[in-house]
Amino acid sequence: MIQRMLPSNGNSKFSVCVCRMNGLVKLALQAVRILHTGQPSLAPVPPLPEHGGKVRFGLIPEEFFQFLYPKTGVTGPYVLGTGLILYLLSKEIYVITPETFSAISTIGFLVYVVKKYGASVGEFADKLNEQKIAQLEEVKQASIKQIQDAIDMEKSQQALVQKRHYLFDVQRNNIAMALEVTYRERLHRVYREVKNRLDYHISVQNMMRQKEQEHMINWVEKRVVQSISAQQVHDVSKLLFRSHHLGNINQHKLLCKTKTGQVYF
Amino acid sequence: MQDFTPKGTAGALQEYDNKYVNVKKRSFAGLSMVLAAYKLFNYCHSYKEFKHKRPRKYH
Repeated sequence: MIQRMLPSNGNSKFSVCVCRMNGLVKLALQAVRILHTGQPSLAPVPPLPEHGGKVRFGLIPEEFFQFLYPKTGVTGPYVLGTGLILYLLSKEIYVITPETFSAISTIGFLVYVVKKYGASVGEFADKLNEQKIAQLEEVKQASIKQIQDAIDMEKSQQALVQKRHYLFDVQRNNIAMALEVTYRERLHRVYREVKNRLDYHISVQNMMRQKEQEHMINWVEKRVVQSISAQQVHDVSKLLFRSHHLGNINQHKLLCKTKTGQVYF
Repeated sequence: MQDFTPKGTAGALQEYDNKYVNVKKRSFAGLSMVLAAYKLFNYCHSYKEFKHKRPRKYH
């Protein structure tokens, strides 16, 4: 029975060893590997079985019934049980004492309680278990997600490194633009300066010409005015006087005025 | 049941645990079998004093 119940998976066997610690007997599981290069199978731990071994009447395991089945069929163990109980009672190997009745009532009560509330208590316990497992699962999932996020970030950063040449292009373009701007600015400045110089020369020329013209005009006027002798003034005024009589006193005055600025007859 | 050494007993106890107690859907049978065995053991131990409490003399 022990050989049958020993679990064995793959090339590792579980051997049970007892170690005494502080007077307590503790069980320790040690995975014995046949080959040292083989994998120890402690983790992942195999999951718990769903249902335990089947038990009838809560007392007698199913193996007993299977054990008797080939020889006596289905009713064998029941007949055996009934006969055994009757034998024990009749031969008074089991003595009926007041304790028997208390035992009967206690066990009856227990059976009733278990039958009635067993399922709900089991569900409640299962729910608690599930909550614990869900919590652990959440932690595990969060950890996995975190690591996955880290991996993704690493990958994206590695991908970024491949795209550095775009950055260099942008920088190169910026520098070229700046150079162009400076060149044009200086070109414009040169143009302005040259224009300034040329404008200066032109304006100097213009001014000289204007001054010469004015001077010449003045000089010519002066000479002309100088050349008008007094005699000619008299002749012209007499002419005017004769032609218009008294009407051109003003003209005469004007003529006299132009010569020297003084009015005289 | 081949050996009653402590190692064997502990091994048997652990097998019992794995089979009836440490499962996902526990039942009352895991505990009740232990209690029944304990009760039987006590009865056998104190059979001598029960012998004198028999209600009938001849059976």
